[in-house]
Amino acid sequence: MATIKEILGNGAYGLYFGNRVLLPFRCHVLKVIFENEIITDFSSSQKGACYKIQKDFTELYFHEVDDLEEVVSEYKGIKMVVVQEGNDIFDFNNHEKLNILLDENHKLKIEKVEDDILFFE
Amino acid sequence: MLKKISVKLISFFLFLTASNPVWAEASGEKVEKAVHALPSPYMVIPFVVILLMIATGPLFYHRFWERHYPKISILLGLIPVIYYIAVLKNTHILMHTLAEYISFIALLGSLFVASGGILININHRSTPLVNVILLLFGAVLSNIIGTTGASMVLIRPYIKLNRHRIHPYHVIFFIFLISNIGGALTPIGDPPLFLGFLKGIDFFWFLEHNWFIWLPTVLLVLAVFYAFDVRNMPKDEPLREYDSTIEFKGGKNIVYLVVILISVFLDPAVFSWVPSLAPLPFGIREIIMFGVIYLSYKNADKEILKANEFDFEPIREVAYLFVGIFATMIPALQLIAYEAHTYGNELNAGVFYWATGALSGFLDNTPTFVNFLSAAMGKWGLDVTIPAQVHQFQVLDPLYLRAISIGAVFFGAMTYIGNGPNFMVKSITERSGIKMPSFFTYLIKYAIPILIPIFTIVWLVFFFGRG
Repeated sequence: MATIKEILGNGAYGLYFGNRVLLPFRCHVLKVIFENEIITDFSSSQKGACYKIQKDFTELYFHEVDDLEEVVSEYKGIKMVVVQEGNDIFDFNNHEKLNILLDENHKLKIEKVEDDILFFE
Repeated sequence: MLKKISVKLISFFLFLTASNPVWAEASGEKVEKAVHALPSPYMVIPFVVILLMIATGPLFYHRFWERHYPKISILLGLIPVIYYIAVLKNTHILMHTLAEYISFIALLGSLFVASGGILININHRSTPLVNVILLLFGAVLSNIIGTTGASMVLIRPYIKLNRHRIHPYHVIFFIFLISNIGGALTPIGDPPLFLGFLKGIDFFWFLEHNWFIWLPTVLLVLAVFYAFDVRNMPKDEPLREYDSTIEFKGGKNIVYLVVILISVFLDPAVFSWVPSLAPLPFGIREIIMFGVIYLSYKNADKEILKANEFDFEPIREVAYLFVGIFATMIPALQLIAYEAHTYGNELNAGVFYWATGALSGFLDNTPTFVNFLSAAMGKWGLDVTIPAQVHQFQVLDPLYLRAISIGAVFFGAMTYIGNGPNFMVKSITERSGIKMPSFFTYLIKYAIPILIPIFTIVWLVFFFGRG
């Protein structure tokens, strides 16, 4: 199973289908910025978003949209703070800021948030 | 005194909203003309509905609103359009409004896209004085590239500058000054003033007549901000190194902004050598502006667009909503002008200032400005849809035009929905992970306690007992 750092290093893609996002690593999600909403509550199965760590990937569901393509654009992605499963979640050095953008054929581009992009944890 | 003002305000709102179907009872040549030309008062309903939906949609039913606002806006706009074509047989006013709409969207769109390709990084320690300088610079800049353009260009460097101690109040004062109050000096500054310019007000009228209100107001708001920021400056800030540089990316977009600025004047009404493309509902100016939209986006640095998280949605939203606003506003403007001619003598400049302001804070300030301009002109029997008469009004009654323009621009800062850039700045801030106050917290905790006392001083000094 690849780690977040490996995925960022080799440029591997995730996937998206409708309102579901599949990240090719196992992680805990701390904060998501989706459209203009800051989501930190992942406990509901109806509002905001929720995530599940599966055997080989992590999946997120965005409950309030049917299709991510309606709301995510070429330069405006989904930003999130995640921690590799198994790493100390309380150590800020383990917090990874990611920006995910939609690509063709359900592929999901996963990038580290660059300095130019504003993102406060 | 308050009672007197309340009575005047109430009577003014009453005539703004009054349904008075008895047009034929009035006498005189002008009224006879009105019997044929005036729309039914019921035709104001689509205008009221669209303004209420714009105010409540993003707050109370935003998913529905985001999905359906284009259809709602177009459908509501079609009601008066069909009425004017089929019942009043008046297509002239529709073509005139279409031309204004195209000019309006061309300017906003071109400023939005061109400024979206600029990225500024300020590597300096955040201090109250540095923030004050940046906010003052932004207030001036908003008159050159618009409150939308200045907000787009400066909000990110401003947040980054304050990244180690950012608070919502930083962004709120940014909205007060750069997204609203700052833009009261030129037609490019704020959309209501640009619409005033399109209707016939001189470009430099606002600078000449508003600067002595603008300057003390900006300084007062900055003084309050300074007091806030000094109090919130951390006492034991960790030592960080700054090279005090300002990094500027996307310089070619400055050229595009200059082209937009120059093209504003390329109007046959301003320079006789500019060819008119009539009967087409646009001119050389609009062609240049749409050209800038295409070129500045096509040639933009993709990394800058990504860093700015550039998205056409905000301008798409403005384009759709203003189709509805411009179309539904036509009957409202005609009726208000007619009513104001009857009741206008009872209203002074202070009433216009507060009434324009009160509505601009909660409804979009552009239609509010035009409606009150129409009402003020109606006092003199002038028609806002005739450029020569608007030009005549600016000379005839500068006090009223000043009260309306200041009220519309300044009070746009009262809520997130008062002016287009307010919501955009809020969105950019929240996309950076900073939680902003709710609609009512913004209003009650910041706008009312900070702005209302300042706006009251403005009223007392410049409008009280005048007109």
